Amino acid sequence: MRRSIPLVAAALGVTLTLSACSGSSDEPTGDASSAAPELTGTLTVWVDETRIDSFKPVAESYQEETGVQLDLVQKASGDIRTDFVTQVPTGEGPDVVIGAHDWTGEFVNNGVVAPVELGDKAGDFAESAITAFAYDGKQYGVPYAIENIALVRNDALLTETPATFDELVAQGRTAGTPFPVVIQQGDQGDAYHLYPLQTSFGAPVFAQAADGSYTPELALGGEAGTAFAAYLAKLGAEKVLDPAVDGDKAKQAFLDGQTPYIVTGPWYAEAFVEAGMDITVLPVPSAGGEEAKPFVGVQGAFISAKTENSVLANDFVTNYLTTEEIQDELYATGGRVPALTASADKIDDEVLAGFNEAGATGAPMPSLPEMGSVWSFWGTTEVQLIGGQATDPAGAWTAMVTNIQGAIDG
Amino acid sequence: MSTQQTEPATAGPEPRTPAPEPRRRSVTSHARDIKPGFVVKLVLVALVDALGLYGILAAAAVQSWGIVVFLVLALVAVNWVYFSRRMLPGKYLVPGLLFLLVYQLFVMAYTGYVSFTNYGDGHNSTKADAISAIQVQTERRVEGSPTYPVTVLSRGEELGLGIVDEDGDVRVGTPEQPLETVDGAQADGDRITDVEGFEVLGLAQIAQRQGEITELRVPVSDDASEGSLRTQDGSTGYVYTPSVAYDEAADTFTDLETGTVYTPSRYGTFTAEDGSRLTPGWRVGVGFENYTAMFSDSRLSGPFFTILAWTFAFAILSVVTTFGLGLFLAIVFNDPRVRGRRFYRSLLILPYAFPGFLAALVWRGMLNPRFGFINEVLLGGADVPWLTDPWLAKLSILLVNLWLGFPYMFLVCTGALQAIPSDVIESARMDGAGAFRVFRSMTLPLLMISVAPLLISSFAFNFNNFTLIYMLTGGGPNFESSPVLVGHTDILISMVYAVAFESGVKQYGLASAVSILIFVIVGAISYAAFRRTKTLEEL
Amino acid sequence: MARASVELHAPVTGVRWWREVGWRHVVGVVMVVVCVTPLLYVVSASLNAGGTLTGSNKLFSDVSGANYAELARTDFPLWAVNSLVVCTATALGTVLMGAAAAYAFSRFRFQGRRASLTALLLVQMFPQMLAFVAIFLLLLTLGDVFPALGLNSRLALIAVYLGGALGVNAFLMYGFFNTIPRELDEAAKIDGASHAQIFFTIILRLVSPILAVVGLLSFVSAFGEFILAKIVLSRVENYTLAVGLYVWASDERNAPWGLFAAAAVLAAIPVLLLFQFLQRYIVSGLTAGSVKG
Repeated sequence: MRRSIPLVAAALGVTLTLSACSGSSDEPTGDASSAAPELTGTLTVWVDETRIDSFKPVAESYQEETGVQLDLVQKASGDIRTDFVTQVPTGEGPDVVIGAHDWTGEFVNNGVVAPVELGDKAGDFAESAITAFAYDGKQYGVPYAIENIALVRNDALLTETPATFDELVAQGRTAGTPFPVVIQQGDQGDAYHLYPLQTSFGAPVFAQAADGSYTPELALGGEAGTAFAAYLAKLGAEKVLDPAVDGDKAKQAFLDGQTPYIVTGPWYAEAFVEAGMDITVLPVPSAGGEEAKPFVGVQGAFISAKTENSVLANDFVTNYLTTEEIQDELYATGGRVPALTASADKIDDEVLAGFNEAGATGAPMPSLPEMGSVWSFWGTTEVQLIGGQATDPAGAWTAMVTNIQGAIDG
Repeated sequence: MSTQQTEPATAGPEPRTPAPEPRRRSVTSHARDIKPGFVVKLVLVALVDALGLYGILAAAAVQSWGIVVFLVLALVAVNWVYFSRRMLPGKYLVPGLLFLLVYQLFVMAYTGYVSFTNYGDGHNSTKADAISAIQVQTERRVEGSPTYPVTVLSRGEELGLGIVDEDGDVRVGTPEQPLETVDGAQADGDRITDVEGFEVLGLAQIAQRQGEITELRVPVSDDASEGSLRTQDGSTGYVYTPSVAYDEAADTFTDLETGTVYTPSRYGTFTAEDGSRLTPGWRVGVGFENYTAMFSDSRLSGPFFTILAWTFAFAILSVVTTFGLGLFLAIVFNDPRVRGRRFYRSLLILPYAFPGFLAALVWRGMLNPRFGFINEVLLGGADVPWLTDPWLAKLSILLVNLWLGFPYMFLVCTGALQAIPSDVIESARMDGAGAFRVFRSMTLPLLMISVAPLLISSFAFNFNNFTLIYMLTGGGPNFESSPVLVGHTDILISMVYAVAFESGVKQYGLASAVSILIFVIVGAISYAAFRRTKTLEEL
Repeated sequence: MARASVELHAPVTGVRWWREVGWRHVVGVVMVVVCVTPLLYVVSASLNAGGTLTGSNKLFSDVSGANYAELARTDFPLWAVNSLVVCTATALGTVLMGAAAAYAFSRFRFQGRRASLTALLLVQMFPQMLAFVAIFLLLLTLGDVFPALGLNSRLALIAVYLGGALGVNAFLMYGFFNTIPRELDEAAKIDGASHAQIFFTIILRLVSPILAVVGLLSFVSAFGEFILAKIVLSRVENYTLAVGLYVWASDERNAPWGLFAAAAVLAAIPVLLLFQFLQRYIVSGLTAGSVKG
C-alpha cells in the first residue's frame, strides 16, 4: 500500500506547490520544515502502547507542518523489537520505530537499522543520550527522553535521608510498616531494579572503555560480584527483599503506605503524585561502599534500513524530533526528562528533577547484543539468592557468570 | 426407533456390511434433471473460478509463480471434483482441504525449510541485504568535516548535489563528476535556487526519488580518499569515506585501513582469516546442524530428558484429569431428575468462557506465595510456595490446567453422551446391571468411539501448551546454575522458546528444527494411540 | 437419560433421593464454587477503580463502575466487534467444512480414507506457535495477490483459523456421524434423495448436538487465541479482544489491570450467552429425535 504513495505525492505535490506559490512570495522549494505543507506521503511509525499517546500529537503537528502523514502503528511492547528485526528484511516493516537505546546492538547486528547523522545537533543533547544510541562508532538513533530509577520516599512516613542502604533498611523498620523498603522482583527476578545496589559493590555488568562505551567483557563476577551476591542473600533472609513482590505489588504497597521507600522509576512516581502522595526522589544509597549507579535508559527513534521513504524518515527523525518544541511536547505528554538539553533545562518538576539527579551518575544500559544473553541468567540467579534456593551465594554467582559467558560464546 | 436400527451405530465407523458403492453413484447423478441444488453449485463454482482467475492474473502480475501454479492446480481440482460424477467424497472434502493445504501444510513445509537454515539474529536476511548493510554501517564521516546544506539537483535521470561553500561559491557534482564550482548559479542564502544544466528538485520530487537520493554519493574531489558527499534528508549533507570496500567480482570485502580481506564463509558471514567477522551475516543452509544441536550441545542435552519426562507427565496427567472430571460431571448432570441442570452446566463452563492466557494470569496472582488469594485468604495466611517449589509448581500447573480444561471435556462428553442410544443403556439396566457396570461396559466404550481421537489431540495440545506454562510459571522455578535457563515446569516447547528466543540470540532455525522434532514425537505417539483406538472402534 | 423411561418412575424421595439425585447437587455446588471463585476475584478487581488484578484480596472492598465506563473510551468496543465477527465466521466455517468432511469420511468408502483421516488428525498437532515466521511470509505473499487475504485483514485471520477446520473438531463430528444409523440415509436414498439432500436435510439435523458443541468449541478457541492473531493483525483497530488484552497485559510498567479485568468480565459474556443458546441443542437433539422416531 505504502509503495504507491510517492506517486500520489507527486500528483498532489504539483497542486500543493502551486497553491503555495500563490500564497507566499517564498521560493516553493523551501526547507523541509517551512510553514506551508508541500508534501504528502506517509511514514509508518511503530510505537508501543507505553509511548503511543505521546506520539499522537506529534504526528498531528508533523502533518500540519509538512503535509506528511505519520501513520502510527501500535505494537505490543513485548513484540515490537522482535517484529522489527523479522519484518524489516521482508519489506513489510515500518519506516521508523520508536524504542529504547538498548535495542541498538541487536538492530545493527541484524542490519535492520540505518545510521542517522545528527551533525552539529548532537551537541545540543545530553551527551549520555547521544552515546547511548552510538554503536561501533556510528549513530543509529535520535534520542528524545531519558529515564532511570531512583529511591522514592513517602514523606508522610519518614523524612530522613539515609546515607547507606543498611541505614535505609534500619530507618525503614522504624516506620512501622510491613516493609522497610520495596524493590520489585517477581518470579523471574529483576536485575534492572537491583543494579544500583550491585554497582555500589563495584560490579558493573560489562567493562567500560575510556569513552564510556561498553566492551563485551563481563565485569559482574569476581570478588565484588560475590560480595554483592552474599549481600542479596542476606537481604533475602532478612525479608527485606522478597521474590513475591513484583512490579504491581511494589507499586500497590507504596500507594497503600505499606512501605516508606521504593526503588522505582518515573512511571510509578507519576501514579504516586497523582494519588496526592507527598514524595521525595533521592539517589539510591550505596550498599557496598561505592556509588550506586542505576541504568539509564534513553528513548528515541530508529530508521529502518529498508525504508522506501528514507528522505522523509530522516527529515522526521533528525530535523523534526530534534526541535525544542517537539522535545518539550514529548516531555509534557510523556513525563520523562527530555534528551535535548534546552528542553531539559526548563523542567521545574521536583520529582523528575530528582530522578534526573539520581541518574546523573548512572551508566546507559548496555546496547551490546551480548546483553540479551545476560538478563535472564542474571534475574534468575538473583531471585534464587533472595528466595534462599541458592544456598551458596558465591558459588551461584560464579556459576551464573560462567553460564552467561557460555551463552555469549554460543 | 427400535434397537435393531441402532445396532450399526455400535459397530462404529467400519460397518460390517460393505458399502454398496455402485448403487450410490447411479442415484446421485444430477445430469438428468437440473435441481436447485445444481444451480447453487454452479453459481458457487463459478464464483470460485472467477476469484481464482483474478488471482492467477494478479499473481502473474506480481510474478508470484508459486501462487499461480497453486491456483491453476486448485481450480482444475475444484472444477473436476464438482462436475465429475465420481469423486463424491471429494465434493465434501475439498473446501476444508484447500484451507488446510494453504494454512497448515504450507506453514509446516516452510518451517521445515527454515529448520535447515541458520535463520536468526545476525543471519536475518539475504546476502544482498547484508552487503548493503555492511556498506552503510562501515561508512565513516570524515573527522572534522562540516555540515553542508545541500540542494538536490537533477539532469535528466541523473541526480546531483549542490552546495554553497564558505566563499559563497556554488559547487555542483554528480556521482560521475566530483564537486566543482559553477558560475552563474543563483543561491538564496545557502540554498541553490538555479543552476545551469540542472533542475533544482522540490520537496515533492525529492520525496518521489527518495531511495536514489539517499544512495547518491558525490565525490568531493578527484581524490577518492577525500570521501564523498551524501545526504539522508535531502537538505543537509556530510562527507563520508568508506572503511571497507566491496569487490563484486571477487565477492569479498577489504578493510581499507588494514587491508584485511573478508570472504564469505559457509555460515553466511564475511569472515577474515583470523576469524573476525563483519556483521550482519545472511541466511544460509546449514543442513542438519539444527537437528543435531539438541543432542550434541551439552547445554541442551543435559536438561532435555528431564524436561521430556515432565512434558509427557504433564500432557498425560492433564488429559486424564480433565477427561476424568469432565466425564464425571457430564454423567452427573445427564440425569434428568437433577433440577437446575441448565444452571449448573452454565456455571461449569465459566472457566472455559475466559480466554485461557488471561485465566492463567489470574491464577498466577492468586497463587503468589505472600500475597495470593489462596494463601492469604483461603489458607489464612499460610506460606505455601505454590509456584516456587518444584513439586508444588508442577502440582499447581496441573490443577490450574484441570480448572481450565475440564469444561472442554465436560462439553464434549455432554454432547457425546447424547449420541448413546438411551434404550441400550436402559435395557442393560433392566437386565440388572449396576450403574458402574453399565458405565464400564456400555457407556464408556460407546463414548470412546467419538471421544478417543479428541483425547489424543488433547494430549498433543497439552504437549505443546506453551501459553499455560509461559503465563503461569514461565517454566520456573529455574534449575539452579543450569547453563540454559530452563526450569522444573518447562515443557519441551517452552524450553525451545527459552533457548531459541529468550537467551539473547534468536535462533529461528533451531526453533523450527525443534518444532519439527516435537511434531515427530507427538505425531508418532498419537499415531500409535490412534492405531489402538481403531481396534477400540471395532469392538 | 431417556425421558420416556424416566417418566415411568415414581418421584424419588428420602434416602433414595440422596443416593440417586441429591449428591449430584452437592457435586454441582462444590464445582460451581471452584469455578466461580477465581472469576469473582476478577469481577471484584474490575469493580475496583484503582485496583490491580493481583493486588487486592479483599473482595468487593470498592465497588464502582469506573473501569467499565473507561472501557467505552478505549478501543475495547472495536475489539469486541472484531472478535465477534471473526469468531462467528470461524465457527460457522468450521462447522460447515468440518461436518462436510465428517460426512465424507463417515458415509463414503474411498481409497486412502483411513490414511487421510489419520493424517488430518496428525497434521493438527504441529506446534504452530513457533511457525510465526512462515505464517507471516505466507500472508505477505498472499496479500500481494488478494489484498483481503494479506496481513492486517480480519478475513485473513478467519482463513488462517479455517485452516484448522478439518482438525480435531471434524473428528469429534466424525465419531458422532458414525453413531447415526446408516439405514436412515439408505432409506432416503431409495426414496431418490441425492447425497447433498441427505447431508443437508437429514444428517445435519440429526447431528445438531455435535454441531452445536463444535460451533461453541471453535468459537471459544478463536475467541481466546492471540498468538496467530497478533501476527496477522497489526493495527489496533483490527485487533481481536484477545490480542488487545494481551497487549494491555504485556505493558510491564503500567498495565491497566482494572480495565483488563473489566474487559475480561465482559469478554466472557458472549461465550456464556452462546452456550445458553446452544445448550438445548447440545443436550436434547438426538435423544429427543430418536425417541420420537
